Amino acid sequence: MRAVKETAVERALLLSTIVSGSITLIIFGFMLFMALPLLGGGKIFQIFVGSWSPGDGSYGILPMTVGTLAISFLSVTISFPMSIGCSSFIGVLGPKRSGRYLKRIVQMMTGIPTVIYGFVGIFLLVPIVRGLASGGSGMSVITAALMLSVLISPTMVLFFNDSFERVPASYLDAADGLGASNVQKLVYVVLPNAKKGIIIGLILAFGRALGDTLVALMIAGNSTQIPGSVFDSARALTAHIALVIAADYESLEFKSIFACGMVLYLFATAIVIGVRYFAFTDRETR
Amino acid sequence: MKRPIEKLVTGFSWLCTIMLLGAVFSITGFLFAKGYSSLDTRLIFGDTGILDALLLKKQVFNGLFPAIAGTLVLVVMSVAWAIPVGIATGIYLAEYAGDRVRGLFNLFFDILAGIPSIVIGLFGFAFSVFLHKNVSKAIQPCLLISSIALAFLVLPYLIRTTQVALDGLPEDTRLGALALGATKMQNIFYVLLPKSLSGIMSGVILAIGRCAEDTAVIMLTGVVATAGIPGSLLSSYEALPFYIYYISSQYTTPEELLTGYGASIILLAMCVVLFSAAFFIKKRLTYMAFYRA
Amino acid sequence: MNNNHIENTKIRVTDLTFSYRGRRILNGMNENFEEFAVTAIVGPSGVGKSTLLMTLNRLWENIPRAQLSGRVEMKLGGRLMDIHDSSISPSHLRKLVGTVFQKPNPLPMSIFRNVAFPFKLSGEKDKKLIDRKVEEALRKAYLWDEVKDRLNHSAFALSGGQQQRLCIARSLVLEPEVLLLDEPTSSLDGKAAEVIEELILHLRERTTILAVSHYLDQVKRIADRVVRFSEEKEIM
Repeated sequence: MRAVKETAVERALLLSTIVSGSITLIIFGFMLFMALPLLGGGKIFQIFVGSWSPGDGSYGILPMTVGTLAISFLSVTISFPMSIGCSSFIGVLGPKRSGRYLKRIVQMMTGIPTVIYGFVGIFLLVPIVRGLASGGSGMSVITAALMLSVLISPTMVLFFNDSFERVPASYLDAADGLGASNVQKLVYVVLPNAKKGIIIGLILAFGRALGDTLVALMIAGNSTQIPGSVFDSARALTAHIALVIAADYESLEFKSIFACGMVLYLFATAIVIGVRYFAFTDRETR
Repeated sequence: MKRPIEKLVTGFSWLCTIMLLGAVFSITGFLFAKGYSSLDTRLIFGDTGILDALLLKKQVFNGLFPAIAGTLVLVVMSVAWAIPVGIATGIYLAEYAGDRVRGLFNLFFDILAGIPSIVIGLFGFAFSVFLHKNVSKAIQPCLLISSIALAFLVLPYLIRTTQVALDGLPEDTRLGALALGATKMQNIFYVLLPKSLSGIMSGVILAIGRCAEDTAVIMLTGVVATAGIPGSLLSSYEALPFYIYYISSQYTTPEELLTGYGASIILLAMCVVLFSAAFFIKKRLTYMAFYRA
Repeated sequence: MNNNHIENTKIRVTDLTFSYRGRRILNGMNENFEEFAVTAIVGPSGVGKSTLLMTLNRLWENIPRAQLSGRVEMKLGGRLMDIHDSSISPSHLRKLVGTVFQKPNPLPMSIFRNVAFPFKLSGEKDKKLIDRKVEEALRKAYLWDEVKDRLNHSAFALSGGQQQRLCIARSLVLEPEVLLLDEPTSSLDGKAAEVIEELILHLRERTTILAVSHYLDQVKRIADRVVRFSEEKEIM
């Protein structure tokens, strides 16, 4: 009787695992299935490298892919040094107490909803960028990237700080014993030993920027041209999905957003594999 | 006695800190400066009496009440789907699965956690179209579809926190009850789960926070600008984050925009409280913070 | 002393080999353990003394990447039988073979519920019986007088020595035939250790006790027999 119950519980747990595990595969399956009519017959090339002009029957998503990558790269470029600076402040360089308070604030920042970043972006940042760029709508790659960098910095700071804290205290004691200054401890002991964590945090932050929808949708301008400069308007893949969703179910235009979904899915998978590569190979230098 | 390069490094770190703090205080300060005048009961209940609205006697037309109610119902439903499945999966992976099975499923859940929320929304939308065509014409993007899609979104949180909490238990805790003759299941339910409750709770709180703030999933799966209080699982509904998004581009009067600021403050307060609580319960949650954009 | 003493044998270990993560910890061990006696197991650390205990209650099965070969027989219900026999489940075996760990490991619940926990596991509902047995076990563990007025307090409020006696009481509540003690006094001060030693001597009348110990004077005081682990014997 008891053994039967044990087995039943184990089966139920296994079933949950299989159900939740299959979600990952089902989502990809759906994307592929829905995008299939578009990918067959040699049109696949057209989709991924073509331009977007539904009027001429061209449903290429290249401009959106470029938009996504441009916004993400730029935002990570801005937020990475900032995050390293902040986490150094929290972990090593700043006064202990203010470091603790800063960490508390940064933790709270992770809770700010993305739609709020977009909302404040529209009414605060966009006018500023409009003024700086003298003309245009103010909605551009740089606008979105700036807001996104504020969005991803807190998580990066916390992640870096965690890897700083994992540096064995004995290393720090050793450096202290040799009379190292705080900056020397940071540069010669903490940063080299936290290298792996920093790389992983960087990749994850990039993934988070790639996947953001609301900020790009609300303040990047959503033009379907490939942006020529950071002050140009651009459309991210995520925003593209949100904007085209209203199209007729049977149209090719509608199907093309599943190609966007697939590209985003593959980006996400690449990020995960990248992280695992760094996390599971023992390349930590001593 | 400090060398110039050291001063430079220290200065840089101070500068970064000030910039980040400047950014967050500008964002929150801007919201409060613009929106604090809207914060009163009229913001939520409009011209309807509070009691009438809460008892659903009268509809609220010009307040946030339907959006807040929609968000609450949505959160409760999504979490109700996700909690049992997520925790069960976490238990299985931590306590029953072999190394290879665990490795494979962890890969799956890492990917699921990394998939942008809009893609999950797109899946939910396509799924509802599929059901509409093949199962019943009554099914279209609605509360039910949104809650299921959101459950997918937060499932990895719950699985991961459960798994990590169980994995982190020390060996003597693990063996104590077994040595008294507990079966594997008794050990899990009487000892291991109660011991890892705080870790699991923080995952649940994070999941609630994510469901409350998400906009991308719901905007594809059934949320609309005006729907009133959700009537059934198959009806469309309003939600706070979508309202904010909608107002930002569709406002017609300064008063309408003001309710947008008010809604932002309410949502911000809700989410910041939830996330801080999760961090308070469990210190090392950083790996979670990266889940999902 | 060997197989000819079979009628006094409680546990017989034959060709017992145990390895963990590919490292051999027990290597073809043969040993008999007498009934109603205290057998002290001594030797330098890291030679598998605690491991031996883990093989006797099958707790080793819960440790990933552990492997075991050989036979372990135990006289249960008057008959010598293989403890890995399919007719006996690990959880049943562990109710007959109590284990007390090096560090006290009370569960996060009240004193009473800690001691009553084995009844919860076996689904015993009779409140009167449980009350009586808990009191009995606490008395046997010399703890009753100290805790009888605060049975509902958390077990963590007790001192280290009291916690360890609580864990012993918890093992005794099912009246096990064998009690495995893994350095039960090593985390305690001298006075607390003394009480537990006295307790062990008292329990010997009805229980077979195997105790791992580091302290030679302690061994002299409590042991009827000594099994000595040495480096060359147990490590290849």
